[in-house]
Amino acid sequence: MPKRKLDPLPSSAFQILLALAGEDLHGYGIMRQVAEQTEGRMRLGPGTLYSSIQTLLEAKLIEELEEREEREGESSSGARRRYYRLTGAGRKLARSEAERLADLLRVARAKKILRGDYV
Amino acid sequence: MFEKIYSLLLRLYPSSFREKYGDEALQLFRDRVRDETGSWPSVRLWFDLLLDLAVSLPQEYLYLRPELVGARPLRSANGVPSFCFLESEPLRPAALLFGGLMSSMAILTFSILLSHPGRHAGTAAATVGQIDGESRISQSQSQQSDSSNTESEPNRRELGAIARMDAAERRRVVNSAATILGKYYVEPENGQRMAEALVAHEKRGDDDGGTNGTAFAALLTRQIREVNRDRHVTVEYSEAVLPERPVGPTAEEMTRYREMMKEQNCTFEDVRVHADNIGYLKLNSFPDVSVCRETAEQAIASVNEASAIIFDLRENRGGDPAMVMLVAAYLFDHPEYMYNPRENTTEQNWTHSPVPGSKLADKPVYILTSPSTFSAAEHFCYDLKMLRRALIVGETTAGAAHSGVWHRIDDHFGVGVPEKKAINPFSTADWAEVGVEPDVKVNADEALKVAEELANKKLRQK
Repeated sequence: MPKRKLDPLPSSAFQILLALAGEDLHGYGIMRQVAEQTEGRMRLGPGTLYSSIQTLLEAKLIEELEEREEREGESSSGARRRYYRLTGAGRKLARSEAERLADLLRVARAKKILRGDYV
Repeated sequence: MFEKIYSLLLRLYPSSFREKYGDEALQLFRDRVRDETGSWPSVRLWFDLLLDLAVSLPQEYLYLRPELVGARPLRSANGVPSFCFLESEPLRPAALLFGGLMSSMAILTFSILLSHPGRHAGTAAATVGQIDGESRISQSQSQQSDSSNTESEPNRRELGAIARMDAAERRRVVNSAATILGKYYVEPENGQRMAEALVAHEKRGDDDGGTNGTAFAALLTRQIREVNRDRHVTVEYSEAVLPERPVGPTAEEMTRYREMMKEQNCTFEDVRVHADNIGYLKLNSFPDVSVCRETAEQAIASVNEASAIIFDLRENRGGDPAMVMLVAAYLFDHPEYMYNPRENTTEQNWTHSPVPGSKLADKPVYILTSPSTFSAAEHFCYDLKMLRRALIVGETTAGAAHSGVWHRIDDHFGVGVPEKKAINPFSTADWAEVGVEPDVKVNADEALKVAEELANKKLRQK
């Protein structure tokens, strides 16, 4: 399988990395987490989601865990699901991407495009 | 139901993707359907899915492509090339069915295109026979179509042989055609020029590659007309073997013809006077005068009292020019010149008008036409239109003039050469190949209705 492009990191891939930063999640879990952290602006469809997951797996930024039952408290349909976990490399990439964005933000603020004092 | 639709949509993805994530994608779909209820969320769900499909599908296939390029095409064992599969699973029956359907459509399209190399004058001529005392193209072709009906089997085989023409055969046809043109064309100088042009084209190699008889004949016809724009010269190709020499109708055939004409009322299919006193004659050919004079005279006499006349020639397949003259004579109160490209201009071209007792000479005349209106019927239409004696209503006619004398080259090729000069007082062109344009263009099916309306309007004005 050829290497898929992760440079620059697509926003969907970055969001998935961020979603997995907190805990291991299955596909639907990732989708919901991404929707939550973007305030509903990004709802990953199955095609984009699994295509991104595939890319991240190939780049060893995330890893696949054994299939298992859903944890309690999650919307349960009783099905066995495949969970994904952020790897060390993934965490590192997510951090560097976040820093890059922070740099961008600083520039934007310096140019008075953005106001406010967050970041 | 929705799940089924989505699982069908999922099939659009490459199999490697489906294999790995198909179930999960479907699961995700189920989860969303379960969680996002209500009309707005479900609309949003489908919007998301379709957008996702549009974005991620090309991406997935894009990822597949480098694989194609990267794959070594020949992983041959001992020099024997082997096939590589792009998909790892066997083909679905639906895919096979679709592929089969597309291939058969492609083959069908190709074969249709092959058998229709373009419109050529021969097609129309070959389909309809015509009775014509002399040895004209139309007649020999009607015999061709007869013979091709009865002995189509051997002819088909013959066609297979002739369809692949070689250079020697082309040269033979060209030389024969050139000789005939030089010898018989009505204007010897032009005949010579046409002949020289044909031979020059052949020598330059312009005819190379002409392996299809019909297309080759059309090519030669074009080359001739480049030199001399005479639409009555044609080179024709016939699939069926052409008869050795065009023979006139035998006594037996004449007897059969007489019987047929008697049975069909000399092809006057319908003769009556409609409401509003409009005479209607549906005439499906111009039958031989020697056989049908009396019937024709009776038919016309029966509408003699009408205030207007409609000739329905929509299914008229042509026939005897003398019958054209006989019918037309009723419509004039003085002898009128009827141009006919088939004849030398003689006394025969003048109608024997006035016809004693005819009250039709000053009545409005309408002629209904269709693309099937053929040959002698077009002669009738053309002259009455040019003389402004009739209003033509319907569609453009077939365009069969066939004024040439038929010269056989070999079993399949022949040349029609005009050997007579007729004076056309109306125009330089006649109806050869272009047909007679109606004055009132309407669908042939509606022509009768329109003509009746026009006639009624005209009669009311009086």
